[in-house]
Amino acid sequence: MLLVHPVHELVRFFPLVIGALVFGSAQGRNDPWHWLGVAFPVALGLTHYLTSRYRITPTQIELQRGLLSRQVLTTPLDRIRTVELTSTPVHRILGLSRVVVGTGGGGREAKKLELDALPVVQARAMRGALLHRVEARLGEVDAGADGPAQSSRPTGDEVLLTLDPRWARYAPLTTSGLVAAAALVGFLGQFTGRLVDSLEGSSGFDRARSLSLLVLAPAGLFGVLLLGAVLAVAGYFLTNWGFRLSRDTAGQSFQVRRGLLTTTELSLDTERVHGVELHQPLGLRLARGGCVEAIVTGLRKQGESRRSAIVPFAPVGVATGVCSVVLGDPTPMNVLLTPHGPKARQRRWTRSFNSLGWPAAAIIVALAWAGWAWQWYAAPLLILVAAALLAVDRYRVLGHALVGDYLVVRAHSLRNRRDVLARDGIIGWTLRQSFFQRRAGLCHLVATTSAGKQAYVVRDVPLEQAVALADDAVPGLVEQFLAA
Amino acid sequence: MAELRAPAHPVSRRAPLAWTIGASIPALIVVVALVVAGILDVLTFPWWAWLLYAVLAGAYIVAMPRIRYRVHRWESTETAVYTQTGWLSREQRIAPMSRVQTVDFEQGPLSRLLGLADVTVTTASAAGPIRIQALDADVATRLVEDLTRRAEADLGDAT
Repeated sequence: MLLVHPVHELVRFFPLVIGALVFGSAQGRNDPWHWLGVAFPVALGLTHYLTSRYRITPTQIELQRGLLSRQVLTTPLDRIRTVELTSTPVHRILGLSRVVVGTGGGGREAKKLELDALPVVQARAMRGALLHRVEARLGEVDAGADGPAQSSRPTGDEVLLTLDPRWARYAPLTTSGLVAAAALVGFLGQFTGRLVDSLEGSSGFDRARSLSLLVLAPAGLFGVLLLGAVLAVAGYFLTNWGFRLSRDTAGQSFQVRRGLLTTTELSLDTERVHGVELHQPLGLRLARGGCVEAIVTGLRKQGESRRSAIVPFAPVGVATGVCSVVLGDPTPMNVLLTPHGPKARQRRWTRSFNSLGWPAAAIIVALAWAGWAWQWYAAPLLILVAAALLAVDRYRVLGHALVGDYLVVRAHSLRNRRDVLARDGIIGWTLRQSFFQRRAGLCHLVATTSAGKQAYVVRDVPLEQAVALADDAVPGLVEQFLAA
Repeated sequence: MAELRAPAHPVSRRAPLAWTIGASIPALIVVVALVVAGILDVLTFPWWAWLLYAVLAGAYIVAMPRIRYRVHRWESTETAVYTQTGWLSREQRIAPMSRVQTVDFEQGPLSRLLGLADVTVTTASAAGPIRIQALDADVATRLVEDLTRRAEADLGDAT
């Protein structure tokens, strides 16, 4: 326990420490000052450890920390929505875990309470106490001492999903690997000068250089794609190894467990799960795959979007099945969605062509006028065809439905998403009409909620349909403002 | 056939003035900057560019506040708050009183001179705040009192 904080501070100050050591040894002097670079983080870690205390009372959890500036964070127990246990490799070696408590303060501040380096058993007991409000006598416990091993975990969780390693085949179909590959290539690009120099004499390299651009460019592209695929698969296993989605027998919370080096256990209070989002980026959709994120209050929205993932990249049948179990109702996932009409289709075409089609057409005309050879038409023609396909697809996937307790919305082509939002999770409505939408009689209807993305949009839906939908989905709210 | 009517109340009669002033200031700053640049010979524009800018900016400054005044409306009932805003694009927002978390009263320096104020109502959703701009200060004060009273009447954490 004592070790974790100093080690973590050392890791955080790593560049500084290395710099200090290197600088110190380069100087050649046996200077004691550069050991300060190591001593300082260790001291910092120790103060964190020695000055952190937590307490769970029947109504709230308090965290006290800080040496120079004392900080006391309190959170009422009934505001707690999620509890996440994270263990980096260092934590795991020492049998520890970091607890992050998420509250439902979505609108103003996303408050989170963080307790680093608790013994795993104690962390799990704490999670049980926080989520299920079991009458555990945890009392006031030093962050250092070993607390009583209270096991309030209900025996026998119902397992909803475990990882099948064959699902890694979906990973290269997304852009996750490509981003990493591009970064890597960019980083290595710094060394191309030296690489070229070292390969200068060899015959193989000279032959490679003499190949035409028409061969080298696709070969290079293929290389990057291959690298991207490898990195994507590696990343998939790193994040999702041992993935397990389960629900406790009392049906009060969902648990998501995953990770290869850093393991994460996330617990979601069932009451605060307001729906699911089925993500099907284009690559996954073509391969009939998908992934699912839960719409839940109390998880930080910005940046780490994968935190609420309850199904990693998997066959769409598996993902849909899990969604049906989580929602308690299979119909929202299977229901046929109401299309948004001819005006919406028209708008899909105009928007697609405004951004892609007309520029491509203009390029083709310019090429024709300048009399360039036919090979150069290939790229703009491809873009034109892509624009048309995009428009068709975007209209096809656009739709909404109100079924049972849920509002279902589906939109977008490249980042296709089917959002299933519980009707009692909807707080209010926003009806947005741009100048052109007003003329076409369309609007964007936004359901605001405190969970997930905070706002779920029904795009380009005819105005009367939107108002009727808002009135049906949340009875009694919109009624009073309807035209007589 | 379902259709939303407009909210009941317009904003303050002095709102167009506030909006006109608000729109004129950036335009004036741009003009001054360009004139200075022209004097210093850093950047010069042909006479027709100046005319075009004057026409466009002038049209915006004259037309936008009037159109906006016709569009901006608000209404507060026992169970909900309803607003309509915009001028070229339109936005209508409805939030239930039972989910209101905070009610804010704001007056910028210009608003205070003109006796206007803004009221902001937030809900648990980060995408849900409702802003009623350019109300008469006393109307805004009364509205804040009403909203606070109604929101307090509902228990729960409104998430």
